[in-house]
Amino acid sequence: MRNNIHWHLGILVLIMTFVAFSCAKLNPKKLSTELLPVEGNPLVSFRILLNIGSANDPPGKEGLCQLTLSMLANGGSKSLTFKEIQKKFYPMAASVGLAVDKEMSVFTGTIHVDNLEKYYAIFKDMLLDPGFRQEDFNRIKTRQLNFVEKNLVSNMDEQFGKEILNLIMYEGHPYGHNEAGTVESLKSLTLDDIKAFCKEHFVQRNIFIGIAGGYPAEFPPKVVKDFSALPDGKTPKLRLPEQRRPSGLEIVIAEKKTPATAISIGFPVSISKADPDYLSLWIAVSHFGEHRQHLSLLFQKIREERGQNYGDYAYADHFIQGRDKFPAQNCCRQQQYFSIWIRPLANSNRHFVLRQALRELKKLVEEGIPKDRFEITRTYLLNYTKLYAQTLEERLGWQIDSHYYGYQDFLAEVQKRLLTITHEDVNRAIKKYLNFENLYIAMITDDAKSLKEALVANAPSPITYANPNMPKEVLEEDRVIQIFPLDVKTEKVRIAPATDFFQKPGIPKIE
Amino acid sequence: MTKFIPVVLTTFLLLGISPALQSSKVFPFSYKIEELENGLKVISIPLNNPNIISYYSIVRSGSRNEVEAGKSGFAHFFEHIMFKGTKNVPRKAYEDFLTRLGAGTNGYTTDDYTCYFVVFAGRENLEEVVKTEADRFINLYYDEEMIKTEAPVIEGEYYASVSSPSRRLSELLRDTAFEKHSYKHTTLGYLKDILDMPNQFEYSQLYKNRFYAPDNIILLVAGDFDHDQLMAYIKKYYSGWKKSNYTLVTPKEPPQTKAKRAHFDFPSKTSPMLAIAFHGPAYSEEKIDKAALDLLAKTSFSSSSPLYQKLVIEEQKCLALSASFSDHRDPYLLVFNATLKDEKDLSYVEEEIFKELERLKNEPVPEDVLADVKSNQKYSFADELGTTDGVAGTLAGYINLTTDPETVNKLFDLYEKVTPGDIQEMAKKYFNKTNSTVATLTGGKIK
Repeated sequence: MRNNIHWHLGILVLIMTFVAFSCAKLNPKKLSTELLPVEGNPLVSFRILLNIGSANDPPGKEGLCQLTLSMLANGGSKSLTFKEIQKKFYPMAASVGLAVDKEMSVFTGTIHVDNLEKYYAIFKDMLLDPGFRQEDFNRIKTRQLNFVEKNLVSNMDEQFGKEILNLIMYEGHPYGHNEAGTVESLKSLTLDDIKAFCKEHFVQRNIFIGIAGGYPAEFPPKVVKDFSALPDGKTPKLRLPEQRRPSGLEIVIAEKKTPATAISIGFPVSISKADPDYLSLWIAVSHFGEHRQHLSLLFQKIREERGQNYGDYAYADHFIQGRDKFPAQNCCRQQQYFSIWIRPLANSNRHFVLRQALRELKKLVEEGIPKDRFEITRTYLLNYTKLYAQTLEERLGWQIDSHYYGYQDFLAEVQKRLLTITHEDVNRAIKKYLNFENLYIAMITDDAKSLKEALVANAPSPITYANPNMPKEVLEEDRVIQIFPLDVKTEKVRIAPATDFFQKPGIPKIE
Repeated sequence: MTKFIPVVLTTFLLLGISPALQSSKVFPFSYKIEELENGLKVISIPLNNPNIISYYSIVRSGSRNEVEAGKSGFAHFFEHIMFKGTKNVPRKAYEDFLTRLGAGTNGYTTDDYTCYFVVFAGRENLEEVVKTEADRFINLYYDEEMIKTEAPVIEGEYYASVSSPSRRLSELLRDTAFEKHSYKHTTLGYLKDILDMPNQFEYSQLYKNRFYAPDNIILLVAGDFDHDQLMAYIKKYYSGWKKSNYTLVTPKEPPQTKAKRAHFDFPSKTSPMLAIAFHGPAYSEEKIDKAALDLLAKTSFSSSSPLYQKLVIEEQKCLALSASFSDHRDPYLLVFNATLKDEKDLSYVEEEIFKELERLKNEPVPEDVLADVKSNQKYSFADELGTTDGVAGTLAGYINLTTDPETVNKLFDLYEKVTPGDIQEMAKKYFNKTNSTVATLTGGKIK
């Protein structure tokens, strides 16, 4: 047995023959599949994608999609309790991952090919023949409730800020609640709700099966056959209401005892990766705020020049960080938004930094991107995107997303098309899709009242530095930033205690 | 309608690592080690994954090296300074270089080491990367003003972390458990020391001279390159660098003689947390203690363990239960962590953990359970090795410990030798109440 394991692990790093083809089988009447065979690769990765998400939660049952799918990923099957599953998975270092977004959810798993049969037998039963035990339900619901009620509000201000932005941006919209739901809705959910949701949505034509790696040729047909046992059916594509555009600066402040302020800014955009303009806008936003990279102009101005916080970024569409700093896949949406993420900074500097970020946005919209920055950002994206899909799971994920957006291979398309984009294209996209006057702004801070007063009064917001010899040009720019006018109307600023968020859908009532 | 779409993938998307196989080893890749005259050690792992290279500079200095009062967090602070550029390649030019390269790049600081990495596509870029990285390590230039501007960034990073209760608990636990050793503080450091960083220009130079020298640094390069070519570049650009010959003396932690306890009132509502720590041994590829305790932690606290099943799955008193015993150069803490549903169960969960530890002294772990844990360790480790960055990133931590990649194979060989009797013996040796520190955190009581 021991020798066997050694041998398996040796195999794990055997030569992997490079894959030449991926094969998508898009079938509107049955299951769709994406296969990426990599002969000799000792791993097999799965992505079981569902074209449903939290936007499919019925009103009053927010969090139902995530809770239902968590019951599959983290609960027992009919034949095995979750305890038995964990015991069987453990020696294989196996698990089932789950990510739920607004309109897509995905189960993931990677396993050594020698354990494929054992793993798949359990994995299949978890998904296709779930146990739906009350004790699993209680455990999983408690965990989800705990996330919404305690962790999100208390422990993770950066994520909290992004979630508040989502609440403002999508008030009354199917996207307008956190995937995990609200305290009130979660408390009301029952095991029967789970079973009904599963029956309605876990159906053949909602499912896209992705398999990659060194699986035997007979494996995918077996998977397709197994999943074909699911009832036929399809959840109609959501007909989403038009995204509500902000009128002026619409601000929501969550107040809590904290030394640091988290800020998220955004607005809906009528563009996605499917759009021919997307790459042009991507270059602009990458220049303005590439995620966790020095390239980001906001990072340079706010962090590098002034040392205000740990980082400042911007996104052309919905972004979730996946492996390392690369974008996660399979969180595609019909409707998209532009956003800015300002990481926590000292409360004393919150007004100044908000002004600074909005002033930079205004400059971007009015002046466009300089030619040299266009060139360097385009080169950057050409090279950086080469690192996007290094693992089997990532490659599957990008292939599935490619189909969603209507490409054969989105990343290959990026390589080709970036070269054809001109400086003018980028500046045209900026003018067309971005603005600086109508924005949603989410802030988490202490003493919200004084912030609101200062914002409405447009009070000057000078800052001081530990460094007595700050560069002259920085101080000169500061004098402009500290009085940069923000047109904040008192009726457009809502304040609520942080603990009131996520109790019910929407923004909590003002005190 | 069924439609098959063959897609020719561009080369960069292709994952394929093809090591010269030594199939019985957990770390199966062939590697070469060379040392320059100035003490700079180079570990190269050529892999057949087309086009991607991971270039790691491992500085064997972390918060462990912050032995002087008032200097906590300095290794991490200096990591930030390392991005300030040189006179040859000022910060802006360095950043532009990395931007054009489209590299995935960053640094991180741990208790024992600080690591800088550049992950990039294209072996044709290797020389420029070696040249630029060598320049910034050898010729780093910054002035007092840069220090003053960068220091508040650390303050921001600290603020970003204060909303995390697990970080607060970890800070408290270490501060309570350690008396003398620099593991007493976290890598971010104490807030009072962070606030004084703007005034630490002189110390920063001392720190640089001590630790940012070739005899304290290892280069680890994995991916698509030719070893001889790599070495030619490294010799060309790093040979002029002078040794520091500095020897760090870390304060010896005195044996703990009585049980300790501490509590943190977290300002916001949060799930109650419990951490129970015992002083344990340092990393070793030879002595059985650390290896046996690693396996003990997994047999008794992993998701398939009886205690986890009882507290998390069946009774549902805990939302999470885990054990951690990260490898360190000096003796460190074996920590059992629990996140609870309800504060009223804190004492119960604490008792259950101590009961389990007592049981481990009296009953040997079943052979089949131990075999499952060993299997899990290997598959988990192997799962990390799917990309160049997985190989380099996983190995970096081990290389810091012993400077030799072979330590991974020695460690896993040692795991193989661990018996239920060894685990029982280690439980008796380390799990004494007088050697324990219990830290708790509850939230929402401060107005």
